[in-house]
Amino acid sequence: MSKLANTIKPFARPLAILGGVLLIVAALLPWVTFALNSGKYPDLATLQFFDAPFAVTGFRWHILLLGVLVLIAVFAPIPSKGRVVRSLGWGGLAVALINSIFITTEGGGLGAITAADGNAAFGGIVGIVAGIAVILGGTGIGIELPAKWKVKLSTPLAYLVLVVTFAAVLFAVAQTLTAGGQGGPANPYAGGLFLSFLGFAAGLLTALNGIGLIGWISELSEKHRVFSVVVLLACALLLPFTNAGSEYWMTVAANIGIYAATAIGLNIVVGLAGLLDLGYVAFMGIGAVVAANLSGAAASKVGIDLPFPIAAVIAAIIAGIFGAIVGSPTLRVRGDYLAIVTLAFGEIFTRSAQNNIGGLTNGANAIPGVPPLDLFGKEFNEPLNIGSVELPSGVLYYVLIVLLVAAVMAIFANLKFSRIGRAWIAIREDEDAARAMGIKTGKAKILAFLVGATLAGLAGAVFAHKNGTVSYESFKFLESVTLLAAVILGGMGSIPGAVLGASLLFVLPEKLREFSDYRLMIFGLALVLIMRFRPQGLVPDRHRRAELAGEDVGGVPVDEVHEHDTKGATA
Amino acid sequence: MSTLLQQLANGVVQGALIALIALGYTMVYGIIQLINFAHGEVFMVGAYGGLATYTWIVPESVKDVWYVSLPIVLVGGVAVSVAIALLMERFAYRPLRNAPRLAPLITALGVSVFLQEFVRNFYPNATAALPFPGVFVQGQLVIGPIRVGWSGILLIGVSVLLSIALQTYINRSRMGRAMRATAQDPDTAKLMGVNPDRVIVLTFVLGAALAGVAGVLFGTYLNNINTDMGFQTGIFAFTAAVLGGVGSIRGAVVGAFIIGLVKTLAGQYMPGGTQYDYVWIFVVLILVLVFRPQGLFGEPERVRA
Amino acid sequence: MSTPVLEARDVSMVFGGLKALQNVSLKLDEGKVVGLIGPNGAGKTTFFNCLTGLYTPTTGSVLLKGDVLPGDPAKVTTAGVARTFQNIRLFPSMTVLENVMVGRHVRMKQGPLASIFHGPGYQKGERAARERSAELLEFVNLPGIEEELARNLPYGDQRRLEIARALATDPAVLLLDEPTAGMNPQETEATRQLILAIRETGVSVVVIEHDIKFIFSLCDSVSVLVQGQLLVEGSPEVVRRDPRVIEAYLGKPPDEVEAEVQAMVEETRQHGDAAESTTVLPVVTDPKPEGEQA
Repeated sequence: MSKLANTIKPFARPLAILGGVLLIVAALLPWVTFALNSGKYPDLATLQFFDAPFAVTGFRWHILLLGVLVLIAVFAPIPSKGRVVRSLGWGGLAVALINSIFITTEGGGLGAITAADGNAAFGGIVGIVAGIAVILGGTGIGIELPAKWKVKLSTPLAYLVLVVTFAAVLFAVAQTLTAGGQGGPANPYAGGLFLSFLGFAAGLLTALNGIGLIGWISELSEKHRVFSVVVLLACALLLPFTNAGSEYWMTVAANIGIYAATAIGLNIVVGLAGLLDLGYVAFMGIGAVVAANLSGAAASKVGIDLPFPIAAVIAAIIAGIFGAIVGSPTLRVRGDYLAIVTLAFGEIFTRSAQNNIGGLTNGANAIPGVPPLDLFGKEFNEPLNIGSVELPSGVLYYVLIVLLVAAVMAIFANLKFSRIGRAWIAIREDEDAARAMGIKTGKAKILAFLVGATLAGLAGAVFAHKNGTVSYESFKFLESVTLLAAVILGGMGSIPGAVLGASLLFVLPEKLREFSDYRLMIFGLALVLIMRFRPQGLVPDRHRRAELAGEDVGGVPVDEVHEHDTKGATA
Repeated sequence: MSTLLQQLANGVVQGALIALIALGYTMVYGIIQLINFAHGEVFMVGAYGGLATYTWIVPESVKDVWYVSLPIVLVGGVAVSVAIALLMERFAYRPLRNAPRLAPLITALGVSVFLQEFVRNFYPNATAALPFPGVFVQGQLVIGPIRVGWSGILLIGVSVLLSIALQTYINRSRMGRAMRATAQDPDTAKLMGVNPDRVIVLTFVLGAALAGVAGVLFGTYLNNINTDMGFQTGIFAFTAAVLGGVGSIRGAVVGAFIIGLVKTLAGQYMPGGTQYDYVWIFVVLILVLVFRPQGLFGEPERVRA
Repeated sequence: MSTPVLEARDVSMVFGGLKALQNVSLKLDEGKVVGLIGPNGAGKTTFFNCLTGLYTPTTGSVLLKGDVLPGDPAKVTTAGVARTFQNIRLFPSMTVLENVMVGRHVRMKQGPLASIFHGPGYQKGERAARERSAELLEFVNLPGIEEELARNLPYGDQRRLEIARALATDPAVLLLDEPTAGMNPQETEATRQLILAIRETGVSVVVIEHDIKFIFSLCDSVSVLVQGQLLVEGSPEVVRRDPRVIEAYLGKPPDEVEAEVQAMVEETRQHGDAAESTTVLPVVTDPKPEGEQA
């Protein structure tokens, strides 16, 4: 990369400016010829791709904005200029590429983005070229580390900044969640529009990171930790009042929350203790089965109806016990064999549940009719009225799950910065050295499994009530892979990473229903690519943030220290 | 009694199949300490490669002449397996040689899921199980109460022969010596002029070739293949490798026959029948890991400090 | 005579057919520094691994203050024997401070529940550990870099951090495996001073080194290990003059070594630049632990 950067160095600025201008031009050009008739879209007229020239709406706004920002970034005296420009370029390229691909595949072939019937529609191609030009320009300008701001704020001002930031985050989350609308046969371009929005948002965010804003705000929020947590929680609870406040989006958000909580639990095992657990979702399944059986559902074999909090605790404890049992071979064997044991355990759970071993799972018929939660005299699946505002049904589940995620996050954070958490990380880094420090590695690893499984069991209990049906189908190997992919995509050991990863991996299938056959294939490929090019994930753990310095040097994982490499490297 | 004998025979056939795959696991682990989860998929891909060869390459006129079509199908299956293994080694594992242990393990899992889904999505009609031609002598060998298909006998014969050949190759040949040296101590082997890349590639190729043969013979024996088979059989094979002692060729073969027998006998005699043969194999795996982690023929792991 | 703080009694270690150690005995008195020298492959690191419970000796036993040590590194550390590694083994993606705090693990009490809920006693213990760790970093002369990642430290600092981490376990005995390997003469001298300072705090030290000049100028007694057997042990003066040692190991007449050691001690006294002194033996940085290739 550095060789390339040297070659283009002399032309870097003109290239970036050209790219920025081209992005603006691309936004103004038409993107699709009017000659489309073979496309799969049910109603071609609704397509925003069909905008006439100069009618800038939808994603073309995003392109336009990115183009303008590129020009500003090139001319304004900003820190880490190259990094910022390059990020914006990636955003532009992503938006242009995604929309072009969708138009060609769904809208009638390559003719649709070039010229057919004499109508030229080169917006997409110009956009792609522009994106590449900006990326090269940014690289040529030189990639520096994200800037660090030294601005200190008085407490009230800091609070104000944090409130504004989290409000913006809330807005962005609501926008992203609803971008492209609900996926499915009725809305085949939801996926394209969603991905396009994601590309735009990612470009913007990485640019803000490059300029130092995100680093500054995260430092600010670490300083005012309690306040930030409260505001963040409040923001999460305000989501139902935004445009995401419909029953559908509340259900999607609640599902994301359940998986996010589970992913954080898995993150303890994989991210902190460095143990690969390939059967993790089985613990969630155990929690769900236990909770369903204690809920008084007609199909349950235990004829008792316990209040949810008690049932949830029992479910969590039983899942935790299984976790300790599955983890116990670690007393004798080292890391990677355990992956196979967990895989085996997951398969045993699925098979037993499918065939109704022990008579608790009702086999292939599943356990239907798990009653909705009923706390404080309120049925959880009913709409909620606050004053004159009526919130859609599902809101109460959403609130419960937000609290669950918050609790799990708190547990994770507390553990991570504690004696136990340090022991786990030490084991992950070097097991023999950890033992030489007096850490009882076997016990510590079993504890990691126990805690992780307990949290999964808790999430499973909520899952059982929210979905109303508990079937082995929900707890198969592919779910374990998805959770693992969520943890790795987000960044091992990182809390926001696990939430982001879980959100992406459970929203994308919602939006991209027409590609559901390829879902697992893409996850598999994603695991390989992330490990190869960005092993630290999207939001790296703070410990690993310093390693980002190596990001541009070739993306090789830098976890292994070779004695002699470190001699001179104090970068 | 006759049921027992029959199940023992079935178990030996299963063991022969598992042995061919377990050898690949054990060799790769011996050289680069990686549990190659995707090795089961190499076996699966070999079966589909064989099927594709039969469907599109073997001329119509000789499709029924097994001694012509079987070698062609075997070559096709092995070629596909080896090609996939080479790609996998070059693009997925090699860049991670110095990464933390978890990275290649996760990559292996990703490769496994990817290959399985890739074949399911892109091989024609592979979303369901596909029939595999019986490219061998039809009929059964009958000895008293035992009946074993000739293709099963073939599987046993090929498996034993190839295991012996592999053992001999590794013990006697120059490259075999290089492999053993690299397995013992990669750095010293490198100093002695062994090219580790070549050794690792060779290891993957040998393992993949055996898996490819296994894939084709498995199809011939059961006349039915599906995209899940690699994953399941792969786990059995890995268990066999662990049971025998990872890194030991002899161990993998012995372990495989034990696993084959456990699978068929448990399917016959344990409560729950064949639905739970799986479970018993995992019980064996866990018992081995807990009580004899180094396996039957492995050396105890020594801590490096 | 009082009980030695650490004692190895007839320790033997056999790997397969390879006798890595044969009846090696060692006594370490309180507040002393004992040096362990010997050619590559003599079994020094293997002996360390036996002392720390990483290996269980085939025969023989290790005693700390008269009590037999169990064959488990975690328990040995808890009992009061800490070590460093020949090829530095820090926790690379933890910060410097966290590395040392991991060393405090056995001296802290918070269990899982305290760690999850951060109860009242938790903060106190955590703060104490943090303070003690910062003190130790100061002690090994690594102040002000608590938040750096261990991987980003220069080589010499990594060695010192490893010593701080070992000291954090409040050991009675510290085992140092080639603490100066790969260091330049100034760093070597600083390490020598550090070990002397550690001895001052009452911690007894066993140190493996190839740099025999370093050993002779530092240790109260020296043991020579050759081919898994204890060849000689005694004061530096005695060992230095032992003909077997000279023949088996030094390959130089004793006077020459003597002169060099004297020169070095002299230089240190004058705080002179040690850069000019030449090493007697090449400093070997063996990337592989010795005695493990079966």
